[in-house]
Amino acid sequence: MFWKIAGFEFRYQLRQPVFWVGAFFFALLSFGLMCSPNVSLTGAASAIHKNAPWAIGLASVAFTVWYMLVTTAFVANVVIRDDQTGFGPIARSTPVSKFDYLMGRFTGAFGAAAVGYLAVPIGMFIGSMMPWVDKETLGPNDIGVYLYAYFALALPSVLLTSALFFTVATVTRSMMWTYVGVIAFFVLNTILGVTLARKPELDKLAATIEPFGGGAYSYMSKYWTVAERNAAIPPFEGVLLFNRLIMVGLALALLLLGYSLYRSGTRGAKLQKAQKLQQLAAKAQQEVARGGPLPKPVFDGALRSTQFWKRTRFEMAQVFKSPAYAILLLIGLLLSFVQLYFSGDLYGAHPYPTTRNITESLMYGPLFIMAYVISAYYAGELVWRERERNVHEIVGASALPDWAFIVPKMLALALVMVSVVVIAMVAGLLLQSVRGFTDYEIARYFTWYVIPTSIDYVLVAVLAVFLAVISPHKFVGWGLMVVFLLADIIASSLGFGDHLYRYGGGPETPLSEMNGMGHFWIGSYWFRAYWMAFAVILATLSYTLWRRGAETRLMPQFRALPHRLRGAPGLLAGFALVAFVAIGGWIFTNTHVWNTYRSDKEQEDRQALYERLIYDKFHGKAYPEGIPHPSIVATKFDVDLYPHEPRMVVHGSYVLENRTGQPLNDIHVHMNPDPVVQSWVIDLPGATKTKLPAAYEDLDYRIYHLATPMQPGQRLTMGFTTVLGTRGFGNDVLNTRLVDNGTFITNFDFAPILPVERGGLLENPVKRRAHGLPSEIRPPKLADDSAAIRAHNYLEDADFQTSDITVHTDADQTPLAPGEKVSDVTANGRRTARFVNDKPVLGFFAVLSARYAEKKVPYKGVDLVVYYDPHNPYNVDRMITALKVALDYYQPNFHPFQFSQARIAEFPALVRGQSYAQSFPNIFPWEETLGFTADVRNPDKIDYVTYVAAHEFGHQWWAYQVIGADMQGDTLLSETMAQYSALMTMEKLYGPTKIRQFLKYELDAYLRGRGSEELEELPLMQVESNQGYIHYRKGAVAMYLLRDQIGEQKVDDALKKLIDKYGFRGAPYPASIDLIALLKAEAPDREQLIDDLFKYITIWDIKTSEMKVKKRTDGKYDVTVTIEAKKFRADGKGKETDQAMKAEPFDLGLFAQKPGEHGFGPKDVIVFKTVSLSTGTQRFSFVVDRAPTWGGADPYNKYIDRDSNDNLIAASN
Amino acid sequence: MLVVEKLTHVYPNGVKALDDVSLMVPKGMYGLLGPNGAGKSTLMRSIATLQVPTSGSIRFGETAEIDVIKEPEAIRRTLGYLPQDFGVYPRVSAYDMLDHMAVLKGIGNGRARKETVESLLNQTNLWNVRNKALAGFSGGMRQRFGIAQALIGDPQLIIVDEPTAGLDPEERQRFLNLLAEIGENVVVILSTHIVEDVADLCPQMAIMDAGRIQLEGAPSALIDGLKGRVWKKTIAKGDLDDHRKRYKVITTRLFAGKTVIHVLSDTDPGDGFEPMPQGLEDVYFSTLTSARAAA
Repeated sequence: MFWKIAGFEFRYQLRQPVFWVGAFFFALLSFGLMCSPNVSLTGAASAIHKNAPWAIGLASVAFTVWYMLVTTAFVANVVIRDDQTGFGPIARSTPVSKFDYLMGRFTGAFGAAAVGYLAVPIGMFIGSMMPWVDKETLGPNDIGVYLYAYFALALPSVLLTSALFFTVATVTRSMMWTYVGVIAFFVLNTILGVTLARKPELDKLAATIEPFGGGAYSYMSKYWTVAERNAAIPPFEGVLLFNRLIMVGLALALLLLGYSLYRSGTRGAKLQKAQKLQQLAAKAQQEVARGGPLPKPVFDGALRSTQFWKRTRFEMAQVFKSPAYAILLLIGLLLSFVQLYFSGDLYGAHPYPTTRNITESLMYGPLFIMAYVISAYYAGELVWRERERNVHEIVGASALPDWAFIVPKMLALALVMVSVVVIAMVAGLLLQSVRGFTDYEIARYFTWYVIPTSIDYVLVAVLAVFLAVISPHKFVGWGLMVVFLLADIIASSLGFGDHLYRYGGGPETPLSEMNGMGHFWIGSYWFRAYWMAFAVILATLSYTLWRRGAETRLMPQFRALPHRLRGAPGLLAGFALVAFVAIGGWIFTNTHVWNTYRSDKEQEDRQALYERLIYDKFHGKAYPEGIPHPSIVATKFDVDLYPHEPRMVVHGSYVLENRTGQPLNDIHVHMNPDPVVQSWVIDLPGATKTKLPAAYEDLDYRIYHLATPMQPGQRLTMGFTTVLGTRGFGNDVLNTRLVDNGTFITNFDFAPILPVERGGLLENPVKRRAHGLPSEIRPPKLADDSAAIRAHNYLEDADFQTSDITVHTDADQTPLAPGEKVSDVTANGRRTARFVNDKPVLGFFAVLSARYAEKKVPYKGVDLVVYYDPHNPYNVDRMITALKVALDYYQPNFHPFQFSQARIAEFPALVRGQSYAQSFPNIFPWEETLGFTADVRNPDKIDYVTYVAAHEFGHQWWAYQVIGADMQGDTLLSETMAQYSALMTMEKLYGPTKIRQFLKYELDAYLRGRGSEELEELPLMQVESNQGYIHYRKGAVAMYLLRDQIGEQKVDDALKKLIDKYGFRGAPYPASIDLIALLKAEAPDREQLIDDLFKYITIWDIKTSEMKVKKRTDGKYDVTVTIEAKKFRADGKGKETDQAMKAEPFDLGLFAQKPGEHGFGPKDVIVFKTVSLSTGTQRFSFVVDRAPTWGGADPYNKYIDRDSNDNLIAASN
Repeated sequence: MLVVEKLTHVYPNGVKALDDVSLMVPKGMYGLLGPNGAGKSTLMRSIATLQVPTSGSIRFGETAEIDVIKEPEAIRRTLGYLPQDFGVYPRVSAYDMLDHMAVLKGIGNGRARKETVESLLNQTNLWNVRNKALAGFSGGMRQRFGIAQALIGDPQLIIVDEPTAGLDPEERQRFLNLLAEIGENVVVILSTHIVEDVADLCPQMAIMDAGRIQLEGAPSALIDGLKGRVWKKTIAKGDLDDHRKRYKVITTRLFAGKTVIHVLSDTDPGDGFEPMPQGLEDVYFSTLTSARAAA
């Protein structure tokens, strides 16, 4: 009987539309993931094959989360169907046992869900076969991988969610509550995941209990390199196996629970209530004579307003009093709060919850998905409520005008959306209170978040209503909403970014404590007005197409449209249409006429064209293959800045010198192609502009032909004038450099550039191939070292030069630029300051202007200054201290500081996801959210404010004293050395324990970074400038280890010699190998280690497998520690080969408490000594006075170790 | 007066629910009798402006001045409609819902609305449960609420579709009495498949089947039309088919294990048949029988 029921159920579910719609949707998603070059739902690096085993596994796991919506429809239906259809009593009166009935049905429904999920492997498999897929992005297809991913990884999750929501449906007997359960589960799971993700020490626990197996999957593969991801899928063992088994077990337990809670028949309580009511009504059963005539209706204006308000109140009560609303709101509050709690964390430290930080993370957080869910849900409810409740005939036959029926519904929905936004604000205020931040800025909350986001959400809601109205069923409307959301996401990933056709779209409004909304809100609101006009049309159409009464077809409504549009609705729609077109025209003028809009595709085309026409032709190779160009020896800028407009006029001049050793006939000049540059004029006496095809002018590239060639050693002056500014607003955020309060602009933005960098070229190999370019664009290889390459540093034309920069700005702002301030005059509402570097510096210049507060501390002959916004005073003293400590370390150990001032200057957060600090000669612009609003007061956290300050200050040595040649390994000399400098500063301030805590983050980031490498991982010595995970992360770990092994003195001596030899000189510039040679000279006995760290990609694997502690008769303890050691060398793709370890020195420690835990200190160290480790297993014995509880090799994780958690082990007997 | 002319309605699936229906309904109770699926509800809904018929016209008023299809708003202002089946909003009490309906029907004035709601709750015996959620009401109570809402605003046209289905005999009687009282001055269309409902109350009636009006008139006149033409015989169950072939059987009914049949015949068919006093039921079934024979 069981199997008959299961079979029937299975076939029944297979006939349901939800099966086919669900399967189709997931097949399409999987198909698209595989064969569309731009869709990467999993965020995998493009070097990872689309059909890499790891990627297939990841998609199979990830999609189960969303598939739970489909699964729930199957299994909840099993329980609820009979009650809904009224077939229940009949079914239950048959002699089928409860087990056969319930479990049979569950089995059938689960079977259908499982079969439906086959859409994912099948969709991916077919997608990978599509002829248009770039073959470079595919590996061999292995059916076994698809099957493994489906059965071992995905199916347990399908079973778990089936069992869970079967049980929820059994208990609640309601589809709605079951789906509320789904949302709650989803949110709780997200919260749990996010919470645990912030605690690296708990990642194994998180991986074990994450219900969908995604945590375990990621945990198993977190340090996998690209090669590994392309070759393998995490095997069914360890955490993954354990997790899958737990989830299957949990599923069975839930089933049992659901089974035992299942009660057939109607609920007793309901029956009793009905009977009581009946009795109450019966008490007064009597004939009542019909009274006099009832009042007649009066149709006047007063009635209309009564109808409107009464209906609005009624609709709102229907929504706001429903339990689902309270639950959804609670979920929204929880989601916002948890998201806020963790947003902006860096190295485990929270930012200050300033209004800006809160509102920004709310605005771009996951709440918008809730907004979609809620708007679609309630639009469906409101549109279909009368029909579902079967009151549509009574209401439809009443004298209520249509508008008074529909408008209140829309108003109610709009208020629901506003309430979601307000509850998010409440979460924000709550978080501020929890963090003890009492500067509540309610007005800013409203202007920055509540008002704009409410409008955006209401726009979504109007669309949801419209889609519900034109749909023949509630679910169709919901489906259309999902289709819209996906289409919008896909359109944006395909580069269709014009907000004129992206409903509800518009440029973001970057928020900043410094700059407020700046002028950015203007464009955002024009777009909002544009889409609001469209929404009014949608709303009017919804009104006219509304199916009143018993009519279910849409066609009659369409036919009646002209009739129904007559009068006010038509007038309104017409007015809205006029507004829509007029505003659209105005926006078009702004975004397409005054400013240029380029889709991502067009932008890429342009980059490709630029590469072909300019880079390849003139600059791709160093001279003599590329073109020669003169060097700049003196720079002069006169910058006239009008921050409120914003507008900037630069008059400048370069003194050029021919250092090429041969006559120069042409000078190539290039200008920042950003539209913010409105015009640029070159003044080069005796030169004529060469006539070039129009494409060159369009790409802002010119060649000036000199009438008389420039002889070697000859100098000439080139003048220029650049006008920067913006007119109106753009499709996206325009110009984040020139702003009302907080202008930060560099010479690469406003001054002519002589040679061209690789920086602006297409990098993604898939996109490059799609544009017919070679896969890779790389700096010169270390192996190709030559004098020509050594002639350029990595800032391209930034030769050592003097500078003279004058900045004029509004009187209330402080102008800043590199150089000693020689004058500062305020007159006629303008402030003018002149900054001069009379000793040559590298030509990388910034101009800043803002309403700054200033803190200046003279220290050992250097002015340490912080220019900051009065809103963000929190870390100013910390920054000054950092500069002091750094100066005290860098001067004696590296080289004296070359300037008399070191200035940190805040700039506003205007580009989301890009907060950084940069080092210019004697000035370090620093984005407000990176350090100015960081809250690092808790001594348990890592003080990354000091770290960043020390790093940027370090660049004054490692970039502005010594700069590498433009080739592989150049950033070892700048970024890695700045990292080392910062580490030493931190160590002086906080001691080595803090450094270990910090390096754990760096090691983790390095090992993870390997998995998203696009081309090839390189050893530190060959690191390329876009490989931050190597030059920052690995660099910090490697330098600290090196310093630990050969001693601080030797490292610093090598660095000192590097500066002595190469500092403050132009070409030839040093390369990484020069530093390596100096290091080897200092520590000739440690050549092996230096090669391991810099020349190769070396990974150690040190594992302490056992520590036995035995008490001796004399009261002491015998301790034996067993250590397994291995070493690998990886190639650029992550393929590893074993390397023999021959007696390498390692720390070995025995501790009374686990190092790294709270309260651990020197008192807990029982034994700490150096031992020699070789490949294989080795034992070490000790006799100690105290019993250790923890012990192992490399206890402080100094080495680059794939599993840094198994270095220590707890004692056993 | 309600005038329906040549009303035809075809559903998207091709079912012709109304086929050239024409009716003239004067003031008073008007019974629309027909089996399930005859098209009664479609007709009722068309008159109640809930769906637009494929063709034909519906007019209402003293001089039939309102074109119901073109000006649904006008008829809705004076319409009371009790659908065959209706539900309620969750968490809304009888009082609040009736009050809400009164607003929808044009009783904007607060005092007038209070008077309306209280009076109707009393008339329909729902006063004691006025503050209880409608969702918990039994079928009979819900039906009483239905009639209460239909009476709001003293409508001139009242349409009640299958109102007595699901009511117990006592409730049914009380309901019909209420209707009869109202029906004196306004047009009341009572759609039903229960012959007694019409026989007891309606001075005018029509029989509908297969989307057409098969017969129209005053019940008494229609009954008179069958005078002397209905004959009855008690037969064995096995003889039924044989009798069907030979006579125009209009009803069959089991009685004490035997089958009692009524046949229609202008002359005495002999063969054991005996004359039978005709009733409205015979009119109804003979109409259906001949309609189906013709089809």
